[in-house]
Amino acid sequence: MALELKSSDNKIFEVEELVAVQSETIKSLVEDGCADNVIPLPNVDSKTLELVLDWCKNHVDMKLDEEKLKEYEDKFIEVDQAVLYDLLLAANYLNIKDLLNRACQKVADMLKGKTPEQIRETLNIVNDFSPEEEEEIRKENLWAFEE
Amino acid sequence: MEGFIDMLPEECVSTILSFTCPTDTFRSSMVSSIFHSAAESDVVWERFLPDDYKDVVSRLVTPLAFTTKKELFLCLCNPVLIDGGRKSFKLEKLFGKISYMLSARELSITWGNDPMQWSWKSIPQSRFPEVAELRTTCWLEIRGKINTQILSPMTRYGVYLIMKISNRAYGLDSIPSEMLVEVGNKVCNGMTHLRHEDGKKQQMECLFYRNRTEVLRKRVIEGTERFLSEREDGWMEIELGEFFSSEAYEEVKMSLMEVKGYQLKGGLIIEGIEVRPIYRFMKECLR
Repeated sequence: MALELKSSDNKIFEVEELVAVQSETIKSLVEDGCADNVIPLPNVDSKTLELVLDWCKNHVDMKLDEEKLKEYEDKFIEVDQAVLYDLLLAANYLNIKDLLNRACQKVADMLKGKTPEQIRETLNIVNDFSPEEEEEIRKENLWAFEE
Repeated sequence: MEGFIDMLPEECVSTILSFTCPTDTFRSSMVSSIFHSAAESDVVWERFLPDDYKDVVSRLVTPLAFTTKKELFLCLCNPVLIDGGRKSFKLEKLFGKISYMLSARELSITWGNDPMQWSWKSIPQSRFPEVAELRTTCWLEIRGKINTQILSPMTRYGVYLIMKISNRAYGLDSIPSEMLVEVGNKVCNGMTHLRHEDGKKQQMECLFYRNRTEVLRKRVIEGTERFLSEREDGWMEIELGEFFSSEAYEEVKMSLMEVKGYQLKGGLIIEGIEVRPIYRFMKECLR
């Protein structure tokens, strides 16, 4: 059985139910009988949705081949930061646990062993603490900065 | 370039942090207010706590007061007594790796129940209700065991006998003691002289007793020679050996024996055996 998904930029994707229900969000829509018409996904653009659906399809196809799947996942997640966050947000919104975990793991790897300044630089984050707040937190976490 | 991560809901940031380690999480909490808030979440600290933490908490001698998983983690970074005071448990704070200390009561001390040979008493410097003091024996054999199931997986562990040598000690260092750590078919041998390192005294002994020392030493299994070192808590420790906790559940057998000298010895006070992750291996993970 095929389902129709519509991205935020109005592109329609026809997908097999088995593939689409990797998303817990879509799965509950199907179970509630709300999936007869086109399912709108206003939070996911077509570019990201295409990637997400590729992930889902491969997870159905390679279900029994752990090694092949791992190889696919490692290659899949080698994307630049902008795409990575789009995938993360889509996986969160569509509730696709393994994609969410893999994307989070990728971001986590970017944080490892870095100082707060280095983390801000890598992820383009603005420091929104006042100097007093920053000093207080530094004191709280002093031991994390020891060798 | 825009800060993409600012678009992520806080719970996603918590999930990301849960894939790092306690050290990285504390550093990240300084990055911005969203990171600080996400770093407090139970989602993060639940992952850093050991899988069996609920079981460990249920076996505490003194219940801990905590409201968040982070607070529990920090509490457990100090040694806590479990199992009626027979063992102590601790997490190391960098990665949340597990360490245990088995009290003397938890070990098998040959002739430990003979009051002529060993006396059991309570002393303020001990974390446990009792320590074992050697009065006199010709057969010194101390054994302990622990299953890797309760330890952190894929971790290099060191095994240490925690003890003191009293001022009235005698006969302990006539011949080296043999130490062993065995897991599955992997064996780690070692030997040590149970004595405080006193360079001058040892030099004199070497001069007068060299022949005898060498004859006695030949009775002992060859292994890496190790030396007593002082701990921060006032006790001494000697490394019995090391092992790697693989994914399989295995029994680790640990022992110290001096049974080939036949001379009487006494004055050894046993606090227990500690099994803890080896720091130098963990430091490498931080880079």
